[in-house]
Amino acid sequence: MAIDIQTWVNVSAFSGAGIAMGLGAIGAAVAEGNTAASANYAVSRNPSASGEIFKSMLVGQAIAESAAIFALVVAMVLMFSPFPSDSLLWVFVMLAAGISMGFGAIGAAIGSGFPAAAACEGMARQPEMSGPLATNMLIGSAVCQTPAIFALVTSFILMFKDYTGLPLAPTWAAILGAGISTGLSTIGSGVGGGLIARESCLGMARQPLTATTLTNTMLLGQAVTQTPAIYGLLISFMLIFSSSPETAALTPAMALLGAGICMGLGASGPALGIGITGQSAVKAISRNLTAASDITRVMLIGMAVSESTGIYAMVISLCLIFVV
Amino acid sequence: MGELGRIHQLIVPFFGYDLTFNVEAIVMTWIAIIFLLIFGMLAARKKSVIPGPLQVVGELIVGNLFQLTEDTLDKELAKKYGPLICALFLFLVACNWLGIIPFLEEPTKDINTPLALGLLGFFIAHYSGIRTKGLKTYLKHYLEPFFIMLPLNIVSELANVVSISFRLFGNIMGGAIIILVVSYLSYSLVLPPFLNAFFGLFVGTIQAFVFTMLTTVYISLQVK
Repeated sequence: MAIDIQTWVNVSAFSGAGIAMGLGAIGAAVAEGNTAASANYAVSRNPSASGEIFKSMLVGQAIAESAAIFALVVAMVLMFSPFPSDSLLWVFVMLAAGISMGFGAIGAAIGSGFPAAAACEGMARQPEMSGPLATNMLIGSAVCQTPAIFALVTSFILMFKDYTGLPLAPTWAAILGAGISTGLSTIGSGVGGGLIARESCLGMARQPLTATTLTNTMLLGQAVTQTPAIYGLLISFMLIFSSSPETAALTPAMALLGAGICMGLGASGPALGIGITGQSAVKAISRNLTAASDITRVMLIGMAVSESTGIYAMVISLCLIFVV
Repeated sequence: MGELGRIHQLIVPFFGYDLTFNVEAIVMTWIAIIFLLIFGMLAARKKSVIPGPLQVVGELIVGNLFQLTEDTLDKELAKKYGPLICALFLFLVACNWLGIIPFLEEPTKDINTPLALGLLGFFIAHYSGIRTKGLKTYLKHYLEPFFIMLPLNIVSELANVVSISFRLFGNIMGGAIIILVVSYLSYSLVLPPFLNAFFGLFVGTIQAFVFTMLTTVYISLQVK
């Protein structure tokens, strides 16, 4: 039985949709359960604040779910859009788009569940701070979604780029590598950013006077946490937009695929490490506001050091793309 | 859906080189600048002790941004860098909010705008670093903790520019894509206004804030 290109493209589009939505559902579900668990605990601690806690639980869950909704959108587009079937490249495009969005949704969703859970606990502890806590939670969760948005951008650029005239041989590896690079590199950034936002919500409830400083430090920490994910995005863009000459040899193709895998895996660790640094810095500021500027300095330098392993991964990826 | 990722380019031959202009980004940037100029003129036109509504808004924005700069730098430095920080934030907010008006697009959706602003912050930070610390101390910073770290230190400084600009670009671009795709799938019923409010107003403001704060912090790391 001969299978034509159209069938192969359909097969990979449906598998890609499955990967995107299947993996994309993991993080959001965990985050929502986590939020609800904290809300239960918070209500038992302070039943008189149950109205506020319930509201913030629902809002927090809705934001955590948005990463899963991005995955749903990508899965729908993969299933229902008519894609051309003139080249076998499209098979890899569909798979890569699914992988990028599926993995990309995990970290961001888990991360944005943390501040929601902490906001519920904080409201039980300090009902007077409900308003600022809700605002801080919204900002923290929204910034946590950034890695998922990067994964979405990569998926859509992959799906809607013009591939006419590109050789099949090394390009398939570049496309697959681009999907893996963004997908995996966003996991650590999402979770790490969530840890920082969680501690800032808890700190605000513990010491309301530190609220402004905590929000600023949280934003700064989350921004640095996302840097590894941005390296992943950058490597993806380079893989997508750099064109390699056609060759039948396997070495260039494997180098491109390896670049994606290297950046994807290499970025998740540093991002988590930076997240833990930021988390403890925010906690320290909430306990001793007078040392805030020193703590911020130490935090930034520590983050820069733990980010250097991500930079090694990026250097190796760049070597794999441009030198090998 | 066809317009996704398409860029209108104007290519002008110039002594054997091709100069490429992204028409949309340039026009939209000017629209954002004109909005800001009109707002500024209206807010500052009738200055009085009992302020008018626009003057109140203007004073609130400028006052808060100055306060923020003072918190990160200090009082003396804030006088010098405050105007830059205010202008940067207001320009970014105007750019990010432009997308919610029909037929207009965010200039920050084009990678060249965030990259230019990131480079601006980079050069200002390092120039002020050399001015305050002197060239010798500034260069010595790159050899810490050992001289082997030199290439790594340089790469991590350059990585700051990339990360700050790609964060803004990715968020605005992602929001625009989601709005376009969901509007297409839902035939523009019900959902787009909420998405515009979330991605255009909320995410746009937060990302403008993050960009401004990071630029301030990069400056403060160099001058302190």
